[in-house]
Amino acid sequence: MKRFIYSIVPLLVLLITSCYRETEPFLNGPGFDGTGYRPLYATATELTHVQTAPARALKNPGKIYVLGNYLFVNEMGTGIHILDNTDPSTPVNLSFVAIPGNYDLAVKGTWLYADNGPDLLVFNVANPRQVQLSKRIKDAIPANNYPPHQDVYFECADPKQGIVVGWEKVTMATRPSCFR
Amino acid sequence: MKKYTTFLSFLSLVALSLLLWQCNMGSADSVSPNQNGTGGSMARFAITGNTLYIVTRQSLDVYDITQPDAPTRQAKAELGLGIETIFPYRQNLFVGANDGMYIFNNQQPQAPTLLSKYTHVMSCDPVVVQNQYAYVTLRGGVGCRQWVNNSSLDVVDVSDPANPKLINSQPMQSPYGLGVDGDKLFVCEGISGLKVFDISDPTQPRLHHNYPEVASYDVIPRQNLLIVTGQNGLYQYRYGDNIAENSMELLSKIPVE
Repeated sequence: MKRFIYSIVPLLVLLITSCYRETEPFLNGPGFDGTGYRPLYATATELTHVQTAPARALKNPGKIYVLGNYLFVNEMGTGIHILDNTDPSTPVNLSFVAIPGNYDLAVKGTWLYADNGPDLLVFNVANPRQVQLSKRIKDAIPANNYPPHQDVYFECADPKQGIVVGWEKVTMATRPSCFR
Repeated sequence: MKKYTTFLSFLSLVALSLLLWQCNMGSADSVSPNQNGTGGSMARFAITGNTLYIVTRQSLDVYDITQPDAPTRQAKAELGLGIETIFPYRQNLFVGANDGMYIFNNQQPQAPTLLSKYTHVMSCDPVVVQNQYAYVTLRGGVGCRQWVNNSSLDVVDVSDPANPKLINSQPMQSPYGLGVDGDKLFVCEGISGLKVFDISDPTQPRLHHNYPEVASYDVIPRQNLLIVTGQNGLYQYRYGDNIAENSMELLSKIPVE
């Protein structure tokens, strides 16, 4: 009986821990195709470089938010495009709010709420071409130290190197140790 | 009688100018106050009334935004790991997580209470709701199932939000965001395109049309206008009220650079 317990316990431990090991797949996990995501870091100062810029082209559009005739489009990890969508057949790109580490947004009235890495920002968008930062709530949102994709390998984020503000897909010679 | 018609025409003139004034307000380069917007199903941020909800990777945070530029946190509900999305619908909040869906009662917006957690299989995530049915996409390749590539579209009966019931499930490729409007359900399939399902029978989504060229990530269907983002750009379509009409007209595309 004792022998049975000795043999079953390690097996159970292995089973349980393997389930929660989000970062390290089993040997028979999905194949590594030579690409993975690498974290892009910013210093605490770089993180606060938030500004309204002229309209720019979409590169890596993410989440969207509609308010009246306006359309807000997240540019993954870098900010928010504001478009006048009064005529959806000819949307007009008005401006870009540059926000390092931005993926999420919500709008009410003239107020835009957005994440800036771990910080929560409030902007006044009464004039979409001149968006004003009104409030910063520091460390409101615990960091997601993984890329906004699934079934991917990525370099584990290292907090010593700074705050993760984005992820880039790169070719990698060896399989990185993090996976989700 | 003459007096009466004069009064009527005066009234209609006032109404017309009011209407015009409103139109002007909308189209000008300014945003009107106190208007609530709409997000997609991938959202981590949501606003209802004077409350801003944020789902972080492990909690639901509730902010009072009565004073819009000074959000104050009212509550924080710790949840399991892997929280991804939030979708407010009527009196409930639907929170999509890697391992299921949490349903909160939202009658007191600043103090949501957890009603149930719907767990199907280890998977994820976004959820949209129409009437008594929630549509959830589960993307394979997460946690314990990471090498089992079983993605699916589930229909969950949430008429009793404390006791959600799975009523239909069908395989998908790599679903991301989704949106529902009337008899149509739009499902983003990442690089595999955009799918339109016929939900004339809301319990049995039937594939109606596939747009393989429209790489899609997030989607908002609203007032016959469909807005889609994906790695090739932003697409907008006009769709008809009735899916049988088969009308989906591409209005514009903003390509990525």
